[in-house]
Amino acid sequence: MADDRREAMLESVALYALGVLPRDEAAFAVAFIANDDEARREYEDLRAAADAIAHTAQEPVDSATSARMKERLLARVRSDAAAGTVVPRRISPAYPAWLWGTGLAAAAAIVFSLVTVVSDVNVRADLATTQRRAANLQTQLAQNERSSARDRQTLADLVAPDAKRYQVADGSVVLRQNRLYFALTKLPPPPKGHVYQAWTAPKGSTVMAPGPTFVPNPGGVTVVPLPVDATRVGVVAVSVEPEGGSKAPTSTPTFVRPLT
Amino acid sequence: MDPGVRLMERVSARDVSAFESLYDGYHRLVFGIGLRMLGDPTMAEDLTQTVFLKIWTAPDAFRGGSFVAWVSRVTRNRALDVLRAKAVRPETEIPADLPLEGALDDDVFARLDAQRVRDALAKLPPEQRGLIEQGFFGGVTHQELARRTDTPLGTVKTRIRNGLRRMRESLGERVS
Repeated sequence: MADDRREAMLESVALYALGVLPRDEAAFAVAFIANDDEARREYEDLRAAADAIAHTAQEPVDSATSARMKERLLARVRSDAAAGTVVPRRISPAYPAWLWGTGLAAAAAIVFSLVTVVSDVNVRADLATTQRRAANLQTQLAQNERSSARDRQTLADLVAPDAKRYQVADGSVVLRQNRLYFALTKLPPPPKGHVYQAWTAPKGSTVMAPGPTFVPNPGGVTVVPLPVDATRVGVVAVSVEPEGGSKAPTSTPTFVRPLT
Repeated sequence: MDPGVRLMERVSARDVSAFESLYDGYHRLVFGIGLRMLGDPTMAEDLTQTVFLKIWTAPDAFRGGSFVAWVSRVTRNRALDVLRAKAVRPETEIPADLPLEGALDDDVFARLDAQRVRDALAKLPPEQRGLIEQGFFGGVTHQELARRTDTPLGTVKTRIRNGLRRMRESLGERVS
């Protein structure tokens, strides 16, 4: 990669660390981070500095607001606890499950909850209003979360320390849990009328199944999530195919990479 | 160890009192980030409720590392979601909510306080500091920062990178 291009990518790494990079460009920065040791070190350093800025936001909250927010939250939390809402969780060894497995905890929580809710009519009315407002906000957030969760998962996977990375000539193949990605940074543009296409073969097989088609950005960078269960994939490949893709590779693969 | 990490272990076990302690310890931070980003106390309050409810209902989303850093990123991402829902900001992306290898040591991060970070920020040239603070709390892209400050895009990128590097060096010196 040319020096000026590399410097530009390192600047993008800094922008990503601060959180000011648009989402589409963030994917390219993450692909670069995933493939470049210096970029990874720079990202870790700069993200630590950026994270620290949060400390300066600590804001004195007036006691009435603080109490109101706490009341709203704890009413909900105690209600959940009383209802025995189950969420996936780690159980801390210091707090064995049996402490919470009895009806005592639930009964205590119900009592707390009742006392809280009926103790002050004004607080209750305020709770209802603010909880409706929070519910509306939650609905809005849920809609946005659905659209952004996959993107965030991709970015998280690509920079995750526990991700497995398989080097290929144009970048790397990244595997994390059951998810698989191409993070390519040096891919030349495909010939006119053609695209790149991903291929996967199950473990123990050489039969390639067609995957998504893609083209890199002008800098040769692309991130491609593969819609497969990564735990079942033995080999991945990329080839140049006519636009629209092919059912089987029609050209010599750009790379073939066993995931071993 | 970051006290937030210990409390999160107990929150994962559905310990309401630990959750209450977590709220007492960190709601000013969450509210403060929300207020800086959303500019409205009511929205910041709702955001605080949303973030802490998320912590209660999905504690496994925290996978270790610095709790302060994690909850800050969660809060910023939630605030960005709110801004997107209101369609008043372009889409930026906050780095993933994951612990880092080789980042500021978690205990060190936990010991950092607002004054130390403010000091580190204050040591930056104003043009770097302004961009970094607006970037962190503004929920805007670097292009928008360039437009707002009437600064060439390349200059914005360089200033942000150099500013973050100087901050990192400064924080490293202070905590060594």
